[in-house]
Amino acid sequence: MKTRIAVRNLRLCTKDCLCLYVCPTGATDTEDSIIDISKCTGCGDCADACPGGAISMVPLEYPPQQKKEDSVLTESYRMIKNKATQEKTAAQIAASTDDDALYRLMTAVARSVRLVNEDLLRESGYMLPQSGNTHALLHEWAENPPADDFPVEAARKLLELIPDNDA
Amino acid sequence: MKYVCSICGYVYDDSAEGIPFSELSDSWVCPLCGAAKSLFSPPKTTAGSITPARTDPTEAAPARTTAAHSTEEMHRLTAGELSALCSNLARGCEKQYKNEEAGLFREIAAYFAAVTPDEPDGDLTHLLSLFENDLTTGYPAVQSAAQTAGDRGTQRVCVWGQKVTVILNSLVQRYQREGSAFLRNTQIWVCSVCGFAYVGNTPPELCPVCKVPAWKFDKIEGRNSA
Ligand code: SF4
Ligand code: SF4
Ligand SMILES: [Fe+2]
Repeated sequence: MKTRIAVRNLRLCTKDCLCLYVCPTGATDTEDSIIDISKCTGCGDCADACPGGAISMVPLEYPPQQKKEDSVLTESYRMIKNKATQEKTAAQIAASTDDDALYRLMTAVARSVRLVNEDLLRESGYMLPQSGNTHALLHEWAENPPADDFPVEAARKLLELIPDNDA
Repeated sequence: MKYVCSICGYVYDDSAEGIPFSELSDSWVCPLCGAAKSLFSPPKTTAGSITPARTDPTEAAPARTTAAHSTEEMHRLTAGELSALCSNLARGCEKQYKNEEAGLFREIAAYFAAVTPDEPDGDLTHLLSLFENDLTTGYPAVQSAAQTAGDRGTQRVCVWGQKVTVILNSLVQRYQREGSAFLRNTQIWVCSVCGFAYVGNTPPELCPVCKVPAWKFDKIEGRNSA
């Protein structure tokens, strides 16, 4: 059974086309440059041959997520709350100002703080979409949507698409 | 006398430059990363240091015993936090080349962003006090908990996040002091990986915080530019 598939990073691909010659199944030879995963056997020959490091062998299954200490989570979640408030505050100032410079500065702050918060959350139990934590959230939303206009179909679809590694 | 940039490590050496550091104007910024003059200090001071904390290699391996993050904890997450949680998961899916899943998480993230209530104190002074809070108590607390637990991942988040927060804090302070003049006829760039913000016509060659190349920076467009 294949355990991984080849994925080409179009940005790094220099179109030297070595991968076309080595692929035993023709999976790399596509009109849109996206490797055909239904043909790919996961042999890795294309990734080895690519001179630009443009092909990654992506695992089909991911390991269970690393556990985090409660003592760290408590402090991190306090910070996460603060970051969310900062982001909203900056977005609000951006939305209400007439000054283009302040608009750009606050848009930058909101974007920047969001990235920092994503990073914090990733290290606070939400690294993998395949984690038990993510699944618990998705189940919660699928079964008890937080509001009528919540995109419940998205949550349901994600539960179908993503396996639970901690189950 | 030497002065080191606390963000990127650039060294200003009085003996090699024409002007002593102390005589540089207050609007002088780090030539590499744009950090304010006040973010420079003589090498190896500890006061207000934001140098990465090192894990003691002799420290015992952390006990990885904690159960998955409890559901009660999740119930307390606000819409704003859940939006960031979901956009983080969308990025996680993108890294795994799962585009459909990424799109679905983005949809949920957008929902939570749209229902995030306004902050009652939505002004610059409040924003600065929140930054101050993170820098004086938030990051040190996370950092020390992470160090005790031997959690290198969270320590890395602190090193990046703290530097980014210092830069944001100093940009907003500068705006409050000088108004919009320093942002006119120039661009603001944000590193799409760590969030580092930079003012200049072109982004830095390497992100001073996370070291990704210039093309990973996004230009922040004005309201009227498409
Ligand atoms: S070998 Fe690498 S660089 Fe060349 S076409 Fe294939 S993916 Fe692109
Ligand atoms: S991993 Fe093997 S089968 Fe898959 S695209 Fe590369 S060369 Fe072809
Ligand atoms: Fe960066």
